[in-house]
Amino acid sequence: MSKPLLSAKGLHKSYRMGRADVHVLRGASLEADAGEFLVVMGSSGSGKSTLLHILGALDAPDRGTVEFRGRRMFEMPLGVRNSYRNRDVGFVFQFYHLLPELNVLENVLTPCMVGSTFWTWRSRRGQAQRNARELLEQFGLSERLEHRPNELSGGERQRVAIARALVNRPALLLADEPTGNLDEKTGAGILRLLTGLNESGQTIVMVTHDAKVASLAHRRVHLGDGVVRDTGGGAGGAREHAAPSAREAAL
Amino acid sequence: MYKWFLAWRYLHTKLIAFIGIAAVMLCVAMVLVVLSVMGGFLDTVRARSRGLHSEIVLEGGTLQGFPYYAEFAEYVSKKLPDAVRITTPAIFTYGIFRVPVTTYTKPARVLGVRLDDYVQVNDFKKGLHYERYYPATTKLALQQMPVAGFDARGRMLLPSDLEEANERWRQSETDLKTIAAFEADPFSKAFFPDIQPVVSSERVYAVGPGEPAYVGPEEYGIIVGTDLLFYRRPDGNFDRDIARGAGVALTLMPLSPVGNPISEPPVRLPLRYVDDSRTGIFEIDSLSVYVDFEMLQHQLAMDPQPLVDGGFTKARANQLLVGLQPGVDLDGAKERIKAAWREFFLSLGPELTSADERALAFVEVYTWEDMQRQFIQAVEKEKVLVTFLFGMISLVAVVLVVCIFYMIVEKKTKDIGILKALGASGGGVGAIFVVYAGAVGVLGSLLGLGLGSVFVWNINAIQDFLARLNPQLRMWSPEVYSFDRIPEVVKTGDALMIAVLAIVCTMIGSLIPAYVAARVWPVKALRYE
Repeated sequence: MSKPLLSAKGLHKSYRMGRADVHVLRGASLEADAGEFLVVMGSSGSGKSTLLHILGALDAPDRGTVEFRGRRMFEMPLGVRNSYRNRDVGFVFQFYHLLPELNVLENVLTPCMVGSTFWTWRSRRGQAQRNARELLEQFGLSERLEHRPNELSGGERQRVAIARALVNRPALLLADEPTGNLDEKTGAGILRLLTGLNESGQTIVMVTHDAKVASLAHRRVHLGDGVVRDTGGGAGGAREHAAPSAREAAL
Repeated sequence: MYKWFLAWRYLHTKLIAFIGIAAVMLCVAMVLVVLSVMGGFLDTVRARSRGLHSEIVLEGGTLQGFPYYAEFAEYVSKKLPDAVRITTPAIFTYGIFRVPVTTYTKPARVLGVRLDDYVQVNDFKKGLHYERYYPATTKLALQQMPVAGFDARGRMLLPSDLEEANERWRQSETDLKTIAAFEADPFSKAFFPDIQPVVSSERVYAVGPGEPAYVGPEEYGIIVGTDLLFYRRPDGNFDRDIARGAGVALTLMPLSPVGNPISEPPVRLPLRYVDDSRTGIFEIDSLSVYVDFEMLQHQLAMDPQPLVDGGFTKARANQLLVGLQPGVDLDGAKERIKAAWREFFLSLGPELTSADERALAFVEVYTWEDMQRQFIQAVEKEKVLVTFLFGMISLVAVVLVVCIFYMIVEKKTKDIGILKALGASGGGVGAIFVVYAGAVGVLGSLLGLGLGSVFVWNINAIQDFLARLNPQLRMWSPEVYSFDRIPEVVKTGDALMIAVLAIVCTMIGSLIPAYVAARVWPVKALRYE
């Protein structure tokens, strides 16, 4: 059996809240294969977002390892972890987190600029802009390139955020309640977009507390008491692709 | 790349950046104005000091003066012909200046000079008022008072030599405005024998009923420091309220070769006011009068005096002014003249009386820089001090930049979190704010240099405008600052230095906020909307 794309083992994380230490993760372990759509479910405050942040090297665990393509991320220098976030991982957040001063196209190009120096950007710029425009067109935003985030609807903002997450063609998309801030219809649109991406081979790890959303996944796991428990398949069973019809039904 | 891009974007979308730019601009403008005015002041002091004296001065160090000045003048001219262009003696004493018709009295620093030579060793001639419009008519020798009159056709005219001199000036003057101004108001009239004009004016001549003429007894001429005799109006011009050639008086105290008063009562000299002089240094122009060297030497009994044993004392002077050949090194010439003086002094040998020997022992050789060193150094120190103080005040701008950028970082915490989630490093995020501050510094500096330069170039116009509104607002008082006009020159070197310092200070000011930005914990920043 081939090695998983992402593998987290024995993650522990605690926070200090006031005078108390809150032990959020108590040995959580997780694996995601390339091309898989994995959903982590859990109630509010169960540590889903913390787990996702650690998987994306945005936060460091107190103990445990995260391996991406066989490399232990937290044993790597800071520069490698920055580059991992920039090239290998794309983040999608519940609150979109677009930069308000930049327009749609510029927001999508930000990861490319982050990964370039002043000099390399000159040669990369053309390709990056083509990628960004392509993605935005694919997401139905080609009329919105010059708009600022505050001129967009929630669904449009989230699509821009997804385009930004994908512009560097990362192997892994990490989505944190991407529909949590949207109405049902718009949320369904975003989910359609994500399943479509997954069907074209994009690996997605999504956290949500919404069982309906979770049903789209190939595989659902449940985070509770700081550990991950496999709850079996989503729309089509564990580690098997969901049947398109079942997904359609869920949407 | 994103550092530059975001810094640029923040710069023109954040209103608060403009407050930072304005703060930097004001500080740069303020320091530039201070440095330019003080630097210009210092340069003017140097230039004026240069024009006050000859290049080298042999100074007697006492009021009674030193002998053998004429012999040394001849000696040094022959010995160092490659260095010495001209020498001229001067007498220096104090007296009481009086205008009899107004009973106006003032203490005066009296200089006895040979005018024709004196104007060749310094810039004295440039500051003479009537000499400009009537060239070669200012003389210290015996003379009468010029009185304007009327020709056969009833036109008012000055005596012919003055009219001719004025014509010469018109021919040579290139500034048409000055000629036009002169023609609009050639001179104001003081009805003879009165020496006071009906209206105080730039040029005043007495006017008689007959033909133009020279009248009155022959008296020696006196050139008076303009500020000593006349009131200066806020517009910068002087109210000349006595006619050229009017009688004035000088009271002097002659001293013996050993410095005791030798005459009782003091000498009272009637003189004719022939011109007034402005060196531009108020301390000099409000105190100095200039009279003929030989006349003053005689009146002060500094010319050869008979001795009881049948001989004569040596003539004395207080200074020997030496003008150098063009291109001669000042300090080198000083050393050579010093050596020549020592040789000369030793060659005098036994013929010296003990009083003469003492007087000669006080003689020192100075350059013009030495003569004005204390004054120049005081201004230099003042410049450094004032620039330092204003520089310290400008640190307020740095503090302001720290505050502004701290606020921006606080407001941008979420953006910083987003950038870190997209792979930006802490240093890179911090660099956005340093670049941003650098841009604020560059823009603020450029605007500040513009504002400061425009202010400096028009500083006198601004002051005149304020003084017209309220005379109390005249900040640059000639009594305090030596010069009547505020220097108006901005030096490129100064401007560049200030701009670079401002940019560096602004960037340093952003380091703390940048550090805070670099340390933002992205998870916390992204947790809430």
